[in-house]
Amino acid sequence: MSREIHAKCFPSHCTRGGGRRQKQRCEGEAKSSVSVPRGTCMTMCPAYELRQRELQNRLHRFEVLTGTEHDRLPRADVSCTVKEYSRPAAGKDSTRATDLRPPDILLKTVYYLVDDIAASSTLHPWTEVYSFVFDRLRSVRQDMIIQRISGPECVAVLERTVRFLLFASYRLCGQPLRLFDSCINDTHLQECLSWLLECYREGQHQHQEEFQALSLLYNLGSAQAVQHVLELPGSVRLSPPVRLALAIGRAYVERNPVRLLRLARRLDFLQGCALHRHLLPCRRDLLLLYSHGHSSRNCRFPIQKLADILSLESSLTAQLCRAHGIHVGGEWVIFSKGSFTESLSEELQCAQMHRLLEDKQQDLTVSDIIHGVA
Amino acid sequence: MAHITINQYLQQVLEAIDTRDGVFCAELLSFKHPHVANPRLQLSSPEDKCQQVLEPPYDEMVAAHLRCTYAVANHDFVEAYKCQTVVVQYPSLGGTFQAHKEENWHCWRLFPMAVSCGQAEQQLLKKGKGKVGDMLEKAAEQLMSCFRVCASDNRAGIDDSKKWGMLFLVNQLFKIYFKINKLHLCKPLIRAIDSSNLKDDYSMAQRVTYKYYVGRKAMFDSDFKLAEDYLSFSFQHSHRSCQRNKRLILIYLLPVKMLLGHMPTNQLLRKYDLLQFADVTKAVSEGNLLLLNEALTKHETFFIRCGIFLILEKLKIITYRNLFKKVYHLLKTHQLPLDAFLVALKMMQVEEVDIDEVQCILANLIYMGHIKGYISHQHQKLVVSKQNPFPPLSSVS
Repeated sequence: MSREIHAKCFPSHCTRGGGRRQKQRCEGEAKSSVSVPRGTCMTMCPAYELRQRELQNRLHRFEVLTGTEHDRLPRADVSCTVKEYSRPAAGKDSTRATDLRPPDILLKTVYYLVDDIAASSTLHPWTEVYSFVFDRLRSVRQDMIIQRISGPECVAVLERTVRFLLFASYRLCGQPLRLFDSCINDTHLQECLSWLLECYREGQHQHQEEFQALSLLYNLGSAQAVQHVLELPGSVRLSPPVRLALAIGRAYVERNPVRLLRLARRLDFLQGCALHRHLLPCRRDLLLLYSHGHSSRNCRFPIQKLADILSLESSLTAQLCRAHGIHVGGEWVIFSKGSFTESLSEELQCAQMHRLLEDKQQDLTVSDIIHGVA
Repeated sequence: MAHITINQYLQQVLEAIDTRDGVFCAELLSFKHPHVANPRLQLSSPEDKCQQVLEPPYDEMVAAHLRCTYAVANHDFVEAYKCQTVVVQYPSLGGTFQAHKEENWHCWRLFPMAVSCGQAEQQLLKKGKGKVGDMLEKAAEQLMSCFRVCASDNRAGIDDSKKWGMLFLVNQLFKIYFKINKLHLCKPLIRAIDSSNLKDDYSMAQRVTYKYYVGRKAMFDSDFKLAEDYLSFSFQHSHRSCQRNKRLILIYLLPVKMLLGHMPTNQLLRKYDLLQFADVTKAVSEGNLLLLNEALTKHETFFIRCGIFLILEKLKIITYRNLFKKVYHLLKTHQLPLDAFLVALKMMQVEEVDIDEVQCILANLIYMGHIKGYISHQHQKLVVSKQNPFPPLSSVS
């Protein structure tokens, strides 16, 4: 008997006898032959959930039908209600087709969240906007995972999510913990980035260079991130955004903050957002290096020059110096390796030093930023 | 071996088990043994036959192994790999393995099985199948459970202890963790071995492999002194005939030594066919940034593949130091104009460098202890110490 026929008559996993063993072996096969859930929900929120939340008064204020806000049970506006994220739990079936949104609806949902909520000029405060969009985007990703969606819609969703989370990391920098948790934002951002970079492994993607560069900047100093980029095809590796990001990474590894800050001036707004959390530590490092390199009682360093290389206004520069034990006298500072201190003072938040990025933002709308300026 | 029947094979397995012949049993379950080429053993469903001759769980283990040989004969490496991992997991599923408290002959069985997993996975890689990472992770999980059984073996006497299997398993796990780039998972294993009282008594081969991986980990943690210790040990104690292994160790030992200021001779590089490092070495010792950049670009693919490209870039700082030392010797003064350094850098065709950057590079070198002195911004000069302004590299860091 030929091998192929033999295999068909006696498939390797199913055998006579040995009940428990057979079940174990067949289970492995069964999992792959069960069909992947395919969503049929054509609205941003499944009808069942909408009704439930309406009845239980669990609608978000952005989802409420105008005019019914003060009713005992506010009504849901179908065009504004979006499926919320819910933690998977035992006994909860998250694979019902009517509760899952297919890829095109998911993309439509993301567009709504960006254009009508995140970019809205009337919804305040933005911390609340962020929480809502964050949660609803998480639910979109959950639908994608359950349905094992990959392909262009998945990439489009992830790209916008990454841009949103990056923008938020800058926009809400300095907000109190109860309103914005940068650690949670970071966790989700890293997850989305990894997933997105995984998608990029196959096929051609228009924005790949942009996101490889953003990943490098966000993960400044990570050897893994750089190694990943070095193994990419030349066309991506040699593209302008990636080259700039790699150059900034090199400046960081070589511990040349002057060069790093100078190169950073060339970044666009979103790239600046990606790099922004590394800027204050970078400035501190410069002051540390100079404290040692310029350590001499008889020498003075002009504040204006220092401000230029730090990309900061001179008043903030003076403040930063004082916070690190560096003597400031009029238009000069005096560096001394003995007096430098690692300051973690509260007054000096990164948020005060956003001028570099504000200038970059200029006429860009939130919508431009998240959808990606062409 | 190549012509025995399935029944004869099974009888041999049974005998090996009954006489506790771990080595022979291992061969019968190994991929390297000639029996795998025997078409009479390449069965897709050998379960019944195995059940007739062997007791559980051996019947299932052997059946899985035979399904594996079948899969390999059909070039279905994914299936083969799955089957072989089934075989490996049996020893750790409690029961027999742990029950044989006074015996460690199972260890001998584990060795080739774990190695076969590695080989099956190599085949997978060659065939370019994706998702190898997932399989490797699963293999690692199973090896980890075997490891835990060995490590927690407190009952048997030293000679019979399963702890002897620990280092082998750790080395296999290291191999996988390095492949899937999850180096942080190595840490608990390193701790376990370091605290074991058997660590100096394992075979030299195993210790060499262990130190190789721990040395590489230390490199990525930027702990260069430690990396040098481990990798040097590995290199020196490698068997003279293992040219390939020695070369592999050198690939990682060389950058570490260079960062600590020790340059390899061309003779050494030629002996081990590592002339890619020749230009890098020359560039660093001469302070020739231009040559360094050229050398790194020229052999970029090789360095990136080995994962040492980023570490070699760190040599730039040493190269700056050597270059600036030359400037110092040329000018023969303790008050060096910053401009002189800028000129030197521009001669090396360093892109877009200005006097502010020069100050920063110098400040960094001073901070690291490579230069003794200070910068005067007002006079635009570097003032160096009259005594030993450029301390030898080995005394710094």
